[in-house]
Amino acid sequence: MILMHKLSLKIGLLIAFVLVSLVAGVNFGPANLTNGQIFNCLIGACHNQVSEMVIWQVRVPRVLVALVAGMGLAIAGAILQNTTRNPLADPYLFGIVSGAGLGATIANLALGENINIALPLAAFLGALFAITIVVLIAKVLQSMEQLLLAGVAVSFMLAALTQFMLYFGEPFATNRVIFWLMGSLARVEMSNFYIIASILLLAIFIIIALHRQIDALLLGDESAASLGVNVDKLRLLMLGLCAALTATIVAYCGGIGFVGLMIPHIVRQLIGVTTLKLVLGSALIGGAFLIWVDIIARTALNDAEIPIGIITSALGSIFFLFIMVRSRHAI
Amino acid sequence: MSIQLQVSQLSWLVKNKSILQNISFDVNQGEVIGIIGPNGAGKTSLLRCITNQIKNTANSTLSGTIHLKNKALQYYPPKQLAQHFALVSQKAEPIFSLTVIDIVKMGLLPHQGFFSLDSDHDKAQIQLALNKVGLSGEGEKNFNLLSGGEQQRVLIARALVQKAQILILDEPTNHLDVYYQHQILQLVKQLNITVIMTVHDLNLASQYCQRLLLLNQGQLICDGSPSEVLSVQQLQQVFKLPCLLEHDPLTNKPRVYFSLPTQTNDKDKIGDLDA
Repeated sequence: MILMHKLSLKIGLLIAFVLVSLVAGVNFGPANLTNGQIFNCLIGACHNQVSEMVIWQVRVPRVLVALVAGMGLAIAGAILQNTTRNPLADPYLFGIVSGAGLGATIANLALGENINIALPLAAFLGALFAITIVVLIAKVLQSMEQLLLAGVAVSFMLAALTQFMLYFGEPFATNRVIFWLMGSLARVEMSNFYIIASILLLAIFIIIALHRQIDALLLGDESAASLGVNVDKLRLLMLGLCAALTATIVAYCGGIGFVGLMIPHIVRQLIGVTTLKLVLGSALIGGAFLIWVDIIARTALNDAEIPIGIITSALGSIFFLFIMVRSRHAI
Repeated sequence: MSIQLQVSQLSWLVKNKSILQNISFDVNQGEVIGIIGPNGAGKTSLLRCITNQIKNTANSTLSGTIHLKNKALQYYPPKQLAQHFALVSQKAEPIFSLTVIDIVKMGLLPHQGFFSLDSDHDKAQIQLALNKVGLSGEGEKNFNLLSGGEQQRVLIARALVQKAQILILDEPTNHLDVYYQHQILQLVKQLNITVIMTVHDLNLASQYCQRLLLLNQGQLICDGSPSEVLSVQQLQQVFKLPCLLEHDPLTNKPRVYFSLPTQTNDKDKIGDLDA
């Protein structure tokens, strides 16, 4: 009973933290707006067209996309880690970003600058292409350890293909692809939020329905099968779900690494390891995390934005070094 | 006693190598059956067949039939099968820090639909199972930090929550000290459900099982009570060691002693290795 209260308290605090992050995300930015102006605009009583545009067309979509992208990446990492029983599993390990990169490169080289709509679509198709190859290889090999290795191999293969095309391609297209791969929320729109949020809701719905089955996998395939779980089908479904979720996010936001790897680690320490707790915690901490990283990306430098993927990768690597040092001391 | 499980002419071939050959036996309700035999005899393979884990593929051919309550095993959907069989495997190594409750709760899975929440009845079942295995009040402990015996008891509690009619245990006493070996087998015996388990220690098998199946090289050599199965001639033939059998006055069951081959043979073997 006490434990349930403790858990509710933690979840309550995290929800409050997410709300504070959302407000902070709308508050920070290069345009000088007072808190009063922002509040008025948010409740629909904006006095000035420019502030209305800054709030509703720039900051709100950006903060909301950061929220759902962070939630989605963290949930995808959490689910992949639980279904593969590998704490290092991450959507990026399955070639999703390399596939998206290849799709983006082809679109850039083929369509030049007229790629606004085509880029996310090409990136999405590239990511799905990558995950399909990984799953096909895994089906032939029938082994989870090899599924991860297959993902890494496919990832390198597609990255090599992308680099080859970029090397011989037009320099402007190369620049565009490289910047896109670094990840950014600078160009996101409200429509992007709706698309990512819909896939995210669908994913959460399916995960809630199957959370007990995913939990059963934590004790191993044999144990899960003895509890009536169709292990292969469940794992394939979860892999497909994580791929669709990550591919959608990468298509609009570019490459944002380490969120799926880092956030579930923190959640396991704070909230718990079973799927429902892990996914709920990952959604809240992941969403808030990406909002704050985006705030840093927007405000750290006076005259330019830092690509968000650079910050998440830097923070992620420091985080992992920290964990390594801590576990060494623990021994 | 009604027949719960019927295995007839079960054979399993993997890449043309025979793992199980023509095995037939019946399991009656409430029996505690021990599967014994040397390493590689097919004990765990037989358990895997009984729990429908083996499928026919290009490399693996399964023949014969297994009937659960007069219905062939392959016609049971996985979930329904999980309501009949509970498996306590020796390979339970959770990679993340699961609590005892997290693991015992998994036993509810075959009885729950999508989106169902744990009812008060479910929670009571979990507590009851923990009480039965002597782990009440330990629910929030980290499974990975428990002793081997406690971990086995947690898995048995999960099987109890699963409400299965047949409990399958793969080497339940592996890596346990003498105290825990007896504690686990005593507990299993007291559950009053059908139990099929593989056991390495012949004396434990003799003490706790009503019936033994002796396997060797994939074949069922003998099926009967401990005093029928544990005969000097059979054991020497299967384990390839000289053995001695006596009646244990404490348990009233046969007791087996093995000894290594004589000194001369040993020297011969060492000489062979050197050569």
